Amino acid sequence: MSARSRPADWVGAQGNYAGSVSRLTAYLIDLMVISGLFWLFLAFLSFAVQVVTGRTITWHKGNLLVIICYVVWHLFYLGFSWAASGRSLGMFVLGVHVVRADGARLEPRRGWLRALVFPLGFLTLGLGYLTMLVQRERRALYDLVAGTAVVYEWDARAARLRFLAREAEPGHSPGQQ
Amino acid sequence: MTILSDVDPLRKRITDEMESLAQRVAERVLELVLHAVDLNEIIRQVDLNALLAQVDIDNGILARVDLNTVLDRVDVNALLDRVDVDRVLARVDVDRLLARADVDAVVQRVDVTALIDRVDINEVAGRLDMDRLVEQTDLGAIIARSSGGMATEALDAARSGAVGLDQFIDRWVTRLLRMKKARPMAPGAPLNGEAQP
Repeated sequence: MSARSRPADWVGAQGNYAGSVSRLTAYLIDLMVISGLFWLFLAFLSFAVQVVTGRTITWHKGNLLVIICYVVWHLFYLGFSWAASGRSLGMFVLGVHVVRADGARLEPRRGWLRALVFPLGFLTLGLGYLTMLVQRERRALYDLVAGTAVVYEWDARAARLRFLAREAEPGHSPGQQ
Repeated sequence: MTILSDVDPLRKRITDEMESLAQRVAERVLELVLHAVDLNEIIRQVDLNALLAQVDIDNGILARVDLNTVLDRVDVNALLDRVDVDRVLARVDVDRLLARADVDAVVQRVDVTALIDRVDINEVAGRLDMDRLVEQTDLGAIIARSSGGMATEALDAARSGAVGLDQFIDRWVTRLLRMKKARPMAPGAPLNGEAQP
């Protein structure tokens, strides 16, 4: 059983429920963006305080205020992304999209709700995430609560043509991506 | 009162016998004459052309013929059953027939727009073997040049790789959990993998 997929499989998956790897990878990208922006903001804040007051502020990861701010920022980033466009930056990179359980576009209210119940995945010690492996529609616990699902929404057909075009180019060895 | 009614019965009987005798004599004479005459020789001497020239076919004969009545009596189906169409077609020289046809004139009479309107272009496009088309024509190079940026290529690689891993894990989970039913299609998912714009 190989993990290598054929271009026809990408097209076949188009519009269907997204799998765990795509979603996890998208979330890891989001996590990097969230963390990067947060620490950038903290650095900017420290700099501004130092310029204005002359005092140096040092932020510690263990600081409760920092943790609370980070969690709030985290949920705001996800909630805003889902409410505004149905996908975050990581989801854009992986070509997945949050939709309503019936396949319709996500309303902003439901996007915010999804972000609010998103921590259920952590709070259930990861079981909330594992449901996306066993649930028939690959929906995590927070998806079930918010009435959402995640689907592939990248243009796999165009990607397949680009893949075939690259394969057909002279000097391209077969199998090389 | 006529003269005959005045004659006596004896005279009438003699007259009848005489008539009968005359009849027999005439028949015998005719028989002898016909025996003696060579009819073939007589027919040979008849100028049929001159005879036919005197016949008025248009007004004398055809005008009297009721063609509708004649045609009503013709069993066309029986007639057609007797025709060996294959034999007729075998005798047709199609090349010669086509050589005489003015194809340009025929094409000019075709309403191409109406013809195209009746063609389901999507169905035709769906039948195209895009893989072979891209591989065997310059279309592949055109696509590669027009849309093959580094970022696009990286995104394609990330997305397709993730889909491959998704399907790999899915197959293992299905096997481990012995899920018999296939996962449902997402609502609104395009059929046959039709891509969204």
